[in-house]
Amino acid sequence: MQTRFVFSEVGNGLRRNLTMTVAVIITVGVSLALFGVSLLVRSQVDTMKDFWYDKVEVSIFLCNDNSETASCAGGKITEAQKEQIQADLESLKPLVQEIYFETQQEAYDRFIVQYRNSPIIDSVTVEALPESFRVKLSDPTQYDIVASAFEGRPGVEQVNDQRQFLEKFFQLLGGLQAIALVIALAMLVVTVLLIVNTMRVAAFSRRRETGIMRLVGASNFYIQLPFLAEAAIAAAVGATIATGGLVLVKIFVIDRVLAPAFQFTAFVGWEAVWAIVPILFLTGIALACLAAFLTLRKYLRV
Amino acid sequence: MILFENVVKQYPTQNRPALDDVSLEVEKGEFVFLVGASGSGKSTFLRLVLKEETPNKGRVWVAGKDLGRLSNWKIPQLRRRIGTVFQDFRLLPNKTVFDNVAFALEVIGKSRGQVQRIVPEVLDLVGLEGKEHRMPDELSGGEQQRVAIARAFVNKPAILIADEPTGNLDPSTSEGIMKLLERINRTGTTVVMATHDAAIVNQMRKRVIELEQGHLVRDQSRGVYGYSR
Repeated sequence: MQTRFVFSEVGNGLRRNLTMTVAVIITVGVSLALFGVSLLVRSQVDTMKDFWYDKVEVSIFLCNDNSETASCAGGKITEAQKEQIQADLESLKPLVQEIYFETQQEAYDRFIVQYRNSPIIDSVTVEALPESFRVKLSDPTQYDIVASAFEGRPGVEQVNDQRQFLEKFFQLLGGLQAIALVIALAMLVVTVLLIVNTMRVAAFSRRRETGIMRLVGASNFYIQLPFLAEAAIAAAVGATIATGGLVLVKIFVIDRVLAPAFQFTAFVGWEAVWAIVPILFLTGIALACLAAFLTLRKYLRV
Repeated sequence: MILFENVVKQYPTQNRPALDDVSLEVEKGEFVFLVGASGSGKSTFLRLVLKEETPNKGRVWVAGKDLGRLSNWKIPQLRRRIGTVFQDFRLLPNKTVFDNVAFALEVIGKSRGQVQRIVPEVLDLVGLEGKEHRMPDELSGGEQQRVAIARAFVNKPAILIADEPTGNLDPSTSEGIMKLLERINRTGTTVVMATHDAAIVNQMRKRVIELEQGHLVRDQSRGVYGYSR
């Protein structure tokens, strides 16, 4: 196999079809960039899940004087009831990892910090806030076990799972990721169609050469190789552009805008970006070669 | 070298077979003219030899191979043993004479050294020495056809197929091309030439096979073009 010959054919082909090649490179770049962003969103969701599920607690709010729930009919929780809850929680180990009792004063202090910009703090007193057990689970998905054990028990106003709030947030992010993925897939379809068309034009414009190649007994593979190499090179350049786009998103959107604005959560690191890059290259090159191969099978027949 | 056994070729869009029950044999080293009006099946015959088409019935043997049993990936090997020349030369306009001939060697993976050695030899044989670096459009029709013949012959094929090689050339140029084909034939290469050129056929006195509406109507050694003209 004459590599020098193949490379000169590839160079000729790319130059001759410059506008189409540029079009292919740009669509590959844009669609792979979108694809990469959707993968990045997913790994962001995973990162946040790791971060938050580690911190989420189940809160068991206890009755105080002005609770209105049926289980609080007996008024403020008694010391004996509190001890019973504490003991029951201890018996749920190892699912229950840590137990922390929050007093009304601590609840108030936390409330003040959380709503420091809101006028609501003026109307809240220490007595208005409930005492609570803050329970950390070794497996946050096993929330139901804790909930069923304490919900509705006399002296317990409410059992609250922070994870359920987060789930809604993650569902929103998941929806965004799905949208990005759908757009990316649509773009990839467009890319494939464009490559198919480009290859058809290329095969047509070089039918003289390929016809002569067939006549003198060049193998199919040898005839198709320059076309496949062109598609692969265009896809690789497109994937490089997509990688650049992803790097820009990481630097300018995530690190410069999102991370400073939402300091309470974790964002994806560079390792997530570098994990996506090979996927982009493989997807791009594989799709381009597949599209080219299927087209050429039809248009460069023996 | 070429053996047709009761070959029928029917194109799907036509109601009459292009070749109808044709049987013939061409021996190694023969020089054969294939004559007949347009549409008589000459081109179909040549395409079957190259396995560009497959017959509907009957069998085609070329260079000892049953083409019906030849798998697709082996077709290139078959074509490397067959040189082809056309009426319209089919040269690459953006390549020099040398590169056009070298192309045939490069696409089958011959090394650069072999290309540099073989191409000048063949250009010499066809009488194009000193024109290696010309472009095809700088050459006369006869010279372009010599380049095409050089390209067809550069692999030293067992068979040379020529589809009206003199169709675009004037009589004296045609004569030169025929001399060249005869010389190639004398090296042991079987030559099958489809033609409308009565003068050439009558002058050469080689075997003549005549097709008419897909039927083999005449197979004559040392024949003439025919009576129909």
